[in-house]
Amino acid sequence: MTISPETAAVGDTLPTITFGPVSRTKLALYAGASGDHNPIHIDLDFVKRAGLDDVFAHGMLSMAQLGRVATDWAGSDRLRGLSTRFTAITPVNATVTCEGRVTERFEQDGTPMLRVALTAKVDDGTQTLRGEALVSAA
Amino acid sequence: MGIFDRNTAEHETAPINVTVERGAVAFFAETIGETNPIHFDADAARAAGHPDVVTPATYPVVIEMAAAKIGKRNGVPDTQDVIKVDNRYVLHGSESYTYHGPIYAGDTVEVISRVKSFADAKGGALEIANLELEIRHPERGVLAVAERTLIHRLPKEKQG
Repeated sequence: MTISPETAAVGDTLPTITFGPVSRTKLALYAGASGDHNPIHIDLDFVKRAGLDDVFAHGMLSMAQLGRVATDWAGSDRLRGLSTRFTAITPVNATVTCEGRVTERFEQDGTPMLRVALTAKVDDGTQTLRGEALVSAA
Repeated sequence: MGIFDRNTAEHETAPINVTVERGAVAFFAETIGETNPIHFDADAARAAGHPDVVTPATYPVVIEMAAAKIGKRNGVPDTQDVIKVDNRYVLHGSESYTYHGPIYAGDTVEVISRVKSFADAKGGALEIANLELEIRHPERGVLAVAERTLIHRLPKEKQG
């Protein structure tokens, strides 16, 4: 069943987005596309000198997927806020599963709004992002 | 101790103008796996009533990076340099966007970056920087505000 922001109720779930596996090539492309050139995500030599075993994915690449969960469902025009904590690093080659669930319906300045809890998890079930979207339900 | 330069709290960069480029938006959208063509196809965006491609939800971070690079070319250090981020130890703690209006390809926006505050955590094993970014359009006003925390996992010799 398809739900829409106008009629969504607390507990309704949004369509899940699965992204990956997040390859080294994808991390290099994301570094270029985003302008975030931190070598910790793309340069194994730098990473080894910093005492780590391997590169890890940009948290913002997973946050972009949380954004897609919200906007694929509600449309860009309805998105009023998007926030997340990065609760664990995303290993290279992980597949990221992003889910959303409506947790509150409320009014803000006379406009009906939805609060959507968002999570990202990697293959072994570790939660990597925990956030929320604020979506206009008008 | 710590690594961040705590004297930089309340530092604010002068506004930097960034022009949002259609090709850059499309490259970003395709890289993140965006499937809605309003984010990479100008014709599809116009058909949906937009003046040009619409930036995806996390695009403020790209505009910020662009502003930082423009600043550096003009001798203005970016916020990461100002607060002395060490890429060997830094983690992204949180990121939050408040949207006031769409950002389209073709827009020239003003970007203002602020250092809000610093804090310690985990008994001095971590230190946290709170940052803020504002993206303004000269006619449409504030389009987006971003808040971010960066965390240093401090090596032993920098703790305490």
